[in-house]
Amino acid sequence: MAKFTLQSRSALERYIMSFDGVTLKEVADFGLVSIAAPIGGEKKLIQAVKKSYGCDLPAVGSSDVSKNSELRMLGLQPGQWFAFFPHAGDDALSSVSEKLGMGGYYTDQSDSWAVLEISGERAREALERICPLDLHPTAFPKGAVSRTVMEHLGVINLRTGEDTFTLMSARSSAQSFLHAVETSIRNVI
Amino acid sequence: MIINHPLLGPRDASEFTYLGDASLIDRPDWQTDNAQELFHEYLYLRDNPAGEHRELWFHEQGDRSWLVVTRSTLTHEITKVELARDVAISRRRDE
Amino acid sequence: MSTSNRLNDGLIDRSRPMSFSFNGKIMGGFEGDTLASALLANDVKLVARSFKYHRPRGVFSAGSEEPNALVELRTGAHQEPNTRATVAELFDGLEATSQNHRGSLKYDLMAVNDWLSPFLSAGFYYKTFMWPKAFWEKLYEPAIRASAGLGRLSMEVDPDTYDHGFLHCDILIIGAGPAGLAAALTAGQAGARVILADEDFRPGGRLNSETLEINGAPGHVWAEQALSELNALENVRVLTRTSVYGAFDHGIYGALERKTDHLADSSGKPRQVLWRIYSKAGILTAGATERSIAFGNNDRPGIMLSGAVRAYANRYGVAAGKRISIVTNNDDGWRTAIDLTAKDVEIAAVIDTREGSPKAVIPGASIVMGGRIVDTRGRHGLTSIALSNGQNIPTDCLAVAGGWSPNVHLTCHQRGRPVWRDDIAAFVPGEDLPVGMRVAGAANGTMTLAAALRDGEDKAITVLGDLGFSATSPLDLVAQDEPSDIEAFWHVKESMGRCFVDLQNDVTSKDVSQSHLEGFRSVEHLKRYTTLGMATDQGKTSNVLGLALMAATSGKSIEETGTTVFRPPYSPVPIGAFAGRSRGEDFRPVRHTPSHSWAKDQGAIFVETGMWLRAQWFPKPGESHWRESVDREVTQTRNSVGVCDVTTLGKIDIQGRDAADFLNKVYANGFAKLPVGKVRYGLMLREDGIVMDDGTTARLGENHFVMTTTTANAVSVFRHMEFCRQCLWPDVDVHLISATEQWAQFAVAGPKSRALLEKIVDADFDLSNEAFPFMGCAELTICGGTPARLFRISFSGELAYEIAVPTRYGNSLAEVLMQAGKEFDVVPYGVEALGVMRVEKGHAAGNELNGQTSALNLGMGRMVSKKKDCIGNTLSERDGMNRDDAVRLVGFRPVDRSAQLKAGAHFVSRGKSAITENDEGWMSSVAYSPSLGHSIGLGFIKRGHERMGEIVVAADPLRDAETDVEIVSAHFIDPEGERLRG
Repeated sequence: MAKFTLQSRSALERYIMSFDGVTLKEVADFGLVSIAAPIGGEKKLIQAVKKSYGCDLPAVGSSDVSKNSELRMLGLQPGQWFAFFPHAGDDALSSVSEKLGMGGYYTDQSDSWAVLEISGERAREALERICPLDLHPTAFPKGAVSRTVMEHLGVINLRTGEDTFTLMSARSSAQSFLHAVETSIRNVI
Repeated sequence: MIINHPLLGPRDASEFTYLGDASLIDRPDWQTDNAQELFHEYLYLRDNPAGEHRELWFHEQGDRSWLVVTRSTLTHEITKVELARDVAISRRRDE
Repeated sequence: MSTSNRLNDGLIDRSRPMSFSFNGKIMGGFEGDTLASALLANDVKLVARSFKYHRPRGVFSAGSEEPNALVELRTGAHQEPNTRATVAELFDGLEATSQNHRGSLKYDLMAVNDWLSPFLSAGFYYKTFMWPKAFWEKLYEPAIRASAGLGRLSMEVDPDTYDHGFLHCDILIIGAGPAGLAAALTAGQAGARVILADEDFRPGGRLNSETLEINGAPGHVWAEQALSELNALENVRVLTRTSVYGAFDHGIYGALERKTDHLADSSGKPRQVLWRIYSKAGILTAGATERSIAFGNNDRPGIMLSGAVRAYANRYGVAAGKRISIVTNNDDGWRTAIDLTAKDVEIAAVIDTREGSPKAVIPGASIVMGGRIVDTRGRHGLTSIALSNGQNIPTDCLAVAGGWSPNVHLTCHQRGRPVWRDDIAAFVPGEDLPVGMRVAGAANGTMTLAAALRDGEDKAITVLGDLGFSATSPLDLVAQDEPSDIEAFWHVKESMGRCFVDLQNDVTSKDVSQSHLEGFRSVEHLKRYTTLGMATDQGKTSNVLGLALMAATSGKSIEETGTTVFRPPYSPVPIGAFAGRSRGEDFRPVRHTPSHSWAKDQGAIFVETGMWLRAQWFPKPGESHWRESVDREVTQTRNSVGVCDVTTLGKIDIQGRDAADFLNKVYANGFAKLPVGKVRYGLMLREDGIVMDDGTTARLGENHFVMTTTTANAVSVFRHMEFCRQCLWPDVDVHLISATEQWAQFAVAGPKSRALLEKIVDADFDLSNEAFPFMGCAELTICGGTPARLFRISFSGELAYEIAVPTRYGNSLAEVLMQAGKEFDVVPYGVEALGVMRVEKGHAAGNELNGQTSALNLGMGRMVSKKKDCIGNTLSERDGMNRDDAVRLVGFRPVDRSAQLKAGAHFVSRGKSAITENDEGWMSSVAYSPSLGHSIGLGFIKRGHERMGEIVVAADPLRDAETDVEIVSAHFIDPEGERLRG
């Protein structure tokens, strides 16, 4: 009989740190589920998403927010999206697949990524030191999302506000990722 | 170098991985009589043009698209960038 | 503190005095000084010894082109050699020392080289150190090494940090002189995103060093106004202390920003930032560099470029001498005389190499038109000059105005070659510029102020048009074009003494002609043979002069002679800046397995595998050798149960209607008919028939598979499968996503593994051999509802499972497995024990899948299906890959069981010598098998499968060993596979 229980850990132990003009914190308790459209099934999936979440499956490079503004759909590659939403449990996958049904292919990514949010008026200045993307609002407006490479690490960068960016990188290298972002902040502030 | 991604716009080449000649899309039919010969040519015999070259790049640190990039080997000028999947589909249609 | 050469005015802040030291002597300067201007203000003329002849040298220029005044800056670990005093900003407490001398700077013992100069001309090394051969290593090399190199390293770890960064703009403007500022104002006002970069700490370029006026005010005042206007524009970024050092493909520029070099203390901030600047267009307004004239002994301290003498007077308020002379071949030299006269500095003479009437009235000065300087005097500083007309003029500073060379360097970083313009006696940018680049101002050969301002504005308007912006109102700048006529003059042929061309490398006019005589007739050969234009200054003040001399020697025009190729960097970039943060522990990111923190608590020893840190073994108290720990881990696993974190294996989630077909094509063996709930070993080939990777793939649903790859190939296999999906079979309905990071996966291996797992799987799951046999897989819950995946696969050869939970639970699962397994004597094992067990079982791994082996070599030739199309099967049928004597993977054991086998040994038949002709294969992996009590190996040998029992020699000439080994089955343990099916 099972008398053992497993303890959950966030990738960065709920790190949070404030600097002059920048705040950096771990985003924990989220669900992240990849959604892929079967060939020929895009229309059906778009309808299902519209019906369940009231948002679009956005083009690659952009994102869309659900009607209740809790979930954000990220367009990451042709035919593939990430649903990103607050979620504490380990059943993010079923919470999406049950809503959207058989029309898509779903893979749980909630444990694959360490997620940081960097915000504040000097956030962009700090990101200049690691992020090769042009983060000027005309080139990377609110809602824009892109995968790129920072200090040798693959990172998904999502702009959620004028001065707020969500950065996702592989969970196994979470410490190196945090160190890279933190160093960028310390190097400018 | 900068590759002007058809979906994402200009991106630094460091996000990409290079494979080689775009002719790798045209994989021979394994059931033809001279399949071995065709595969040998497919895999080993490449043009080495001084000038325009169509080549495959993978946006590994990006959207994971394979691209067909038309680049001058003399000047690095890139004149065309296409999704390799689109290229592959249209070539199949042409066959 | 003596500041005997200070004048009034200048752009220094006299309210902020600073003290600094040079060779231990404390001196004073002001904020706004460079080390060079402060030294000159203190009447320090001798600052360095030249590289080859150890000749006394002084400050020659007032900018980054400096060939002479190289010093060691700072002390201890912070010490930096070859720093140009002309760009080193003065700060309070700066410590500088001169370099390249033995003994004191004034009485350098190496100055004997100067007397030996007749023997040390071009090609000296090539000609001299030839024979006898016995001298090469013992005599020549130590002697050459002792005198080679310039400056000393601290030999300590660099305590400074460096950073990288990325900037984006519509227009990058390189150089904030008049043309650059006009361009930036025009582009900035039009709303374009502009970056204006300038290497100086005070933007303005020559405006800071001249008395020319714009809009009725001194040029530097206008520059200041322009800058404050630019700084107020949100779309403009001004980078000072920033050298754009290279123009790369597609509008990418490299730039080095010196962040803290001008501060006594960096406060922990990066010293320098290496920027990668992405631009849609570039405007090069890098100005021009003045050059020298070759005449006898033209290298003494006190002999400087004319524009530099003017810069020290106008910008720094320093007279470079007390009785200054000027030699010029152009109108610009006269302005030095005019400006200095206006500051009441005594002018001894103006010597113009041109005939005609004087260009200005200089009271008290001898004016010599058509004059030639043939020699100079003054051992540690200039005292007089001698003219060809017999005149001898006492003077302590000679300003040399040989004309200005546009800074075309960045225009040539791709394919561009500059073109010669006779009217200004200089090279200007050619047609073939880097993509998006335009050139304005002096860099473009537009040498006068009003024209340069107009050129900057015009080029900006053109670029704005190209980018879809429209310029607002014209700048309407009011300025004059100063006289700038020039008649090329290079070399005083009647000189007495050596005429230096390249001061930094001690290349003389004679070296240039000698190199021509010896057949080095291309400019590139001239450069390599004489070292003209090499080292830190890259010949900025000397190249054109050298080319002109070479052209004269060969009877060709300068145009025909051409230039050497300009390559990045424009000015020196420290290696530390290129490395950025990638040093020490931050060289590469580190990947931790989900149970890393638990393993660390257990005292595990870790090993790097790629970026991963994996537990290598878990030493116990009393174990003093790694083998003790590893043997124990293997034995305990085989006797009871062991646990190993195997998360690092790549996992790829594969879904789609065509997923099974797709796998059938990317794997050499069949996958179409794999039942749901089953796992299969898969062999992946490259198209050429060589094995690419292997792993197991589980079918979780009709259209859902999970593939595992080796740790090393996780990325390349994913890339390959995306290639297959997008490029080869674009119509298939298959989607791939990496799930490596999602699941924490543990191998639970050993006879008690089932018993252990029974304690943690939830009640509804039946683990019995009947319900969940070998190669089964399932999604289930464990520990009261936690989702998990279970695979019954075995790498060790034991009854074994791999269990996966979402990564968040990984560390906890390791603890739980240990707790639950306590009663079975569970042991954690590391990759070393994992490796031993796989060798004992005869499983191929990285050493065997080395990119040279085929399925046939690995003994899996029959797995390659001939009935379907899959990557690699057509070419794996080639005759050459199916020879009868192909090597086969087999096991080896030493005949003398106490012998230790070595991987890398090659096999030869007994009685044959260990030479290539007799080579029959190689040992790929070895291990000490605690289960068998002796060393065992896996390896490839010709026809190995037919030679069981044969004894061959494992020859290892590199380590001088020959061991008799017996060919045996690769399956040392449980060859029938009873254990893993039990």
